[in-house]
Amino acid sequence: MVKVEKYIVEMLNITKRFPGIIANDNITLQLKKGEIHALLGENGAGKSTLMSILFGLYQPDEGEIRINGKKVDIRNPNDANDLGIGMVHQHFKLVEIFTVLENIILGVEPSKMGFIDKKEARERVIDISERYGLKIDPDAKVEDITVGMQQRVEILKMLYRDNEILIFDEPTAVLTPQEIKELLQIMKNFAKEGKSILFITHKLNEIMEVADRCTVLRKGKCIGTVDIKDTTKEELSRMMVGRDVNFVVDKDEAKPKDVVLSVRNLYVEGENKSVNVIKNVSFDVRAGEIVCLAGIDGNGQRELVNAITGLGRVSSGSITLNGTEITNASVRQRSILGISHIPEDRHKHGLVLDYKLEQNLVLQRYWQPEFQNKGFIKFDAVRKYAEGLIENYDIRSGQGPITITRSMSGGNQQKAIIAREIDKDHKLLVAVQPTRGLDVGAIEYVHKRLVESRDAGKAVFLVSLELDEVMNVSDRILVIYEGEIVGEFDPKKTTVQELGLYMSGAKRNTTKEKEDGE
Amino acid sequence: MKRVLALALAIMLVAASLTGCSSGGEESTGAEIALITDKGNIDDKSFNQGSWEGVVEFAEREGISHTYIKPEDVSDAYYLQAIDLAVEGGAKVIVTPGFLFEVAVHEAQYKYPDVKFILLDGTPHPADSFEPDIQENVASILYAEEESGYLAGYAAVMDGMRNLGFMGGMAVPAVQAFGYGFLQGAEDAAEELGLPDGSINVIYHYTGDFDENDTNKATARTMYQEGVEVIFACGGSVGKSVMSAAAEAGAKVIGVDVDQRYDSETVITSATKGLSASVIQVLESIYKTDSWDQYGGKVTYFNAENDGVALPTEVIGDPDADAFDRFENFTMEQYEEVYQRLVDGTVDPIRTIEVSDPTGYATVEEITTALNLTKLNVTTRY
Amino acid sequence: MENRGNLNNKNKFNLGNIFKTSGFSTLMAALMAIFLGLIFGFIIMLIAKPSSALAGFRYILLGGFRRIWDVFYFATPILMTGLAVGFAFKMGLFNIGASGQYTMGMYFALYVGFMWDLPPGIHWIVAILAGLVGGIIWGFFPGFFKAFLNVNEVITSIMFNYIGMFLVDMWIQNNSTMYIPNMARTAYLPKSAQIPSLGIPGSNVNFSIIFAIVIGIILYIVLEKTIFGYELKATGFNKHASEYAGMKGKRNIILTMMIAGGLAGLGGAFAILAPSAIAGSSVTYEPVNIIAPNGFTGIAVALLGNSHPLGIILSAIFISHIQRGGTLTSLVGFKPEIIDVVIAVIIYFSAFSMIMNTALGNFLKRKFRVKKHKLAESIDNNTKEKD
Repeated sequence: MVKVEKYIVEMLNITKRFPGIIANDNITLQLKKGEIHALLGENGAGKSTLMSILFGLYQPDEGEIRINGKKVDIRNPNDANDLGIGMVHQHFKLVEIFTVLENIILGVEPSKMGFIDKKEARERVIDISERYGLKIDPDAKVEDITVGMQQRVEILKMLYRDNEILIFDEPTAVLTPQEIKELLQIMKNFAKEGKSILFITHKLNEIMEVADRCTVLRKGKCIGTVDIKDTTKEELSRMMVGRDVNFVVDKDEAKPKDVVLSVRNLYVEGENKSVNVIKNVSFDVRAGEIVCLAGIDGNGQRELVNAITGLGRVSSGSITLNGTEITNASVRQRSILGISHIPEDRHKHGLVLDYKLEQNLVLQRYWQPEFQNKGFIKFDAVRKYAEGLIENYDIRSGQGPITITRSMSGGNQQKAIIAREIDKDHKLLVAVQPTRGLDVGAIEYVHKRLVESRDAGKAVFLVSLELDEVMNVSDRILVIYEGEIVGEFDPKKTTVQELGLYMSGAKRNTTKEKEDGE
Repeated sequence: MKRVLALALAIMLVAASLTGCSSGGEESTGAEIALITDKGNIDDKSFNQGSWEGVVEFAEREGISHTYIKPEDVSDAYYLQAIDLAVEGGAKVIVTPGFLFEVAVHEAQYKYPDVKFILLDGTPHPADSFEPDIQENVASILYAEEESGYLAGYAAVMDGMRNLGFMGGMAVPAVQAFGYGFLQGAEDAAEELGLPDGSINVIYHYTGDFDENDTNKATARTMYQEGVEVIFACGGSVGKSVMSAAAEAGAKVIGVDVDQRYDSETVITSATKGLSASVIQVLESIYKTDSWDQYGGKVTYFNAENDGVALPTEVIGDPDADAFDRFENFTMEQYEEVYQRLVDGTVDPIRTIEVSDPTGYATVEEITTALNLTKLNVTTRY
Repeated sequence: MENRGNLNNKNKFNLGNIFKTSGFSTLMAALMAIFLGLIFGFIIMLIAKPSSALAGFRYILLGGFRRIWDVFYFATPILMTGLAVGFAFKMGLFNIGASGQYTMGMYFALYVGFMWDLPPGIHWIVAILAGLVGGIIWGFFPGFFKAFLNVNEVITSIMFNYIGMFLVDMWIQNNSTMYIPNMARTAYLPKSAQIPSLGIPGSNVNFSIIFAIVIGIILYIVLEKTIFGYELKATGFNKHASEYAGMKGKRNIILTMMIAGGLAGLGGAFAILAPSAIAGSSVTYEPVNIIAPNGFTGIAVALLGNSHPLGIILSAIFISHIQRGGTLTSLVGFKPEIIDVVIAVIIYFSAFSMIMNTALGNFLKRKFRVKKHKLAESIDNNTKEKD
């Protein structure tokens, strides 16, 4: 089994079971020194479980782990750290109110007579960050810096601990295209320096760009390990999903009808109430079209969506739905009037993770006469309805409608939300980054559902950070920059490059001159 | 499955104890003398502690088993239940400190005719009336508050104070007795010192409650501002108000019932009831002299003659300390001298006087006439 | 496909799956916590008085059975405060103010008991309802501050413990009908205001324990079967999701705190309106500026009961049982202080059941995952063979 070749990490015949599911079934993964090894699989394929085992968060039920050929027992992250294994988690593990420097040295603070020697630590951190081109401000508080910066802090944490084996868990999911490019370059530099990298992802482009080899998992099983130079994107995706995947969204020409959503001269105040984060925004979304709001994260998308869905307040302007003024309506009223909302953060807003799947599937409808009688829940009706949705939307889970939602994979959680929101009687579907963190198979599914919704005569308002998605799915593109709509485009008549210029504020359509309430 | 194991162990343990219980009765290791605490504990520096010290002293000397029991609830029914428990534990004598036990002891005296009860500072009566009903197995112990107050008043004047204050709670018999005794003690001391008539000023006041509150504190503060050097604070938590006013004014307080020197530095002495001494004496009548008849079935007043009243002469927990250290002039010798006068009856303070007002608030005239005061210039403040 | 296989198994009676259900593990954790608490309690008794430790421990475990009516009597108020804490906890609110609500409910009940002249048979019912109202009012404030001013309910409710306690003590002391100053306690309540006794000699146990249990069951139904319970738990699990789903968060917060307050207030009413085993007497209250300890015991009751209404019923009875048994240990010479320590250790260890459920559960799972799985498999096989 073990070839003559020297492996730095070997995970041999790993099996890990959870109630109702085998997360890892006899998986073998071998990492060579100095290579970038991609771990590819759909959500729920077992990638995170496998890496958690390597990092000591779980113990395997069967199989063994070898580091430099020696069998090891990793019981917790400290053991992993001692073996030189570091991990950048998908959700960062940083103390928000600490500075960058404090976060990096947390747990391994150099000390002189019991006092933290920050000077020495600072020098080392700056030294490392310069060597690898990881630009940071050591004194900035983590809560104040961008997500990309936070990721660099996580990477620096690993380097500061002299880790030789670096695990990146979906590192690009949260980054802008520019940041992704930088990260991939940094990873290449690490490999050149002799560090070994495990790169967990489901983005095929990135794998093709940086990885040396790739191990593909599907439904807890190891499908195979391939050399990147001998393979193609299509083959990888076939290995991952188990069938051919269509990268282009199939859709007919949009047939826009009446205006469903109409936003006029909208202003929204920011959290500190001093500045407007949405400035004089006006647009329409018609029935039967998908309007996509493109922009770099943090340019007011969230506030605009909250204003439309009722989660946030409007300072001035108006929003109408099918001619009904809803500017100050409650969330529930808007829901009744026909707004469905696929929220940006499915864990924070979209689901009650500790509820059963069936309870989540009626989260927007539990109060309707169909599901309640004089305040008492009609459990049979809920169960029947949930089973219907599970069937129609192919939501997979360990125990069907009674599965605790937290235990489901991200993709299936998202499917549950989409099923709930699309099945609900609606006129406008607001979908915010509906494919965030999903694998290709699931993305294809989501896009198909969005288009179906459009074809069924619904208005679809899609907020996306992914330009591929923007170009593929939308019928009309609005670009938002610093709270203003700076351009409107037809996806067939524009390019990613042009959109990028508008998104970054380098260009704008200043048809309407307006004074900013700065 | 460690949890299953744990469950199994728990079941085994329960089963073991069940079988243990069924095989033979429980050998009781309870105590012969039991004290039931009222709402406080035996370290309350008040009734519980005073009585418990008496129990301990006697029982240890005689080698009798003794214990105390804390009721589960501060209510008549659960005081009675604590008595039940004490009896079940083998108690032959039960000490109940304080008037809160009056109803419970009333029930218990019928329920346990063979058990002797020592009820301190209270008289058994049924729940629905205040009519005393004392059976042969109950000794109701009350205290001669007027003698205690007398000692306090005497000490204050002998110590050099000329402006005194009295703050009683409500004008109930015990409080009145303290007050009248206080005045008489001050009078006699002034007489002895040869002071002219009217040379001692006393402000005499009833608060109308037994509370620690701002009104009482303000009253005390006013008195101190008018030149009062010491206030005899005689009414439950009124004392706390007076102590805090005294601390602010840099003045003095005389405590009541039990030695209150531990509550505040301002307390120079306390007009105490001899809880410990009375408990010991009643216990002796049971175990030593076989003269229970002396106490059983009636109310007994404890006074100087039988160590039932006193100013504290010891500091708890420190046998070498001087309990008179907060006096400037008054000495232990002087105290023993005046105490002897109470014991042999040379001095016999008046406990009650004729008061026309139904509230019990006596007028200056009523007080001075009845108590025959000449050296004292009394002002009432009601 | 593997999912389907699993579902089929579900339909049969399967021991292996029972081990996996969350309800079972919660119960196990609670039992385990109790067990640990008992062990530590026993160790303390061993240290305190080795010769009587076993006999004393037997009293703690079993003594309550011979005083079963007192167990119920003392379980009543802590059952109510336990529900008050647990119910709010289901919505993610930590109602540490049960004490204040309890005291306020008690005062309202006392007020009606003393000051209103109502016919027997109605008087005590009105007094209980007054207690409910008092608690509701005192629960409203923290809820209101939380909902509209975003003030943490823990802070407000602690403050309202003090405010309530001082107010009640002041009101009582200023009321000459209610208060007997030279005894520093309230007067005896008129018979008509006392809850009918269950007629057990020597015990104050009365109908309120039945009311309390029924209320617990009603709460269970509200939480599990109604859309109000659905909203409440959803808000407790995930506030953001409940807003997203258009639930009226502010209204629900206030309503929950009012219900919780009402429950604690009922506890206060049940406690003070209890009949006395001694004719003509009654339960009394002493305004001595102490925050009602029953409110805090309620927190332990709720924790041990995992905030589940039915669990709280059981845990209140259990804690009362241990306390009653503990009192009996004085028969074998244990001092009240030692008993208090032992009882406190047992209760607070028991209240760790939630932590136990996660921490210890995880630990055990990690350590024994393989064995457990094999055990479950062998059980599966056994059941299949028997089939």
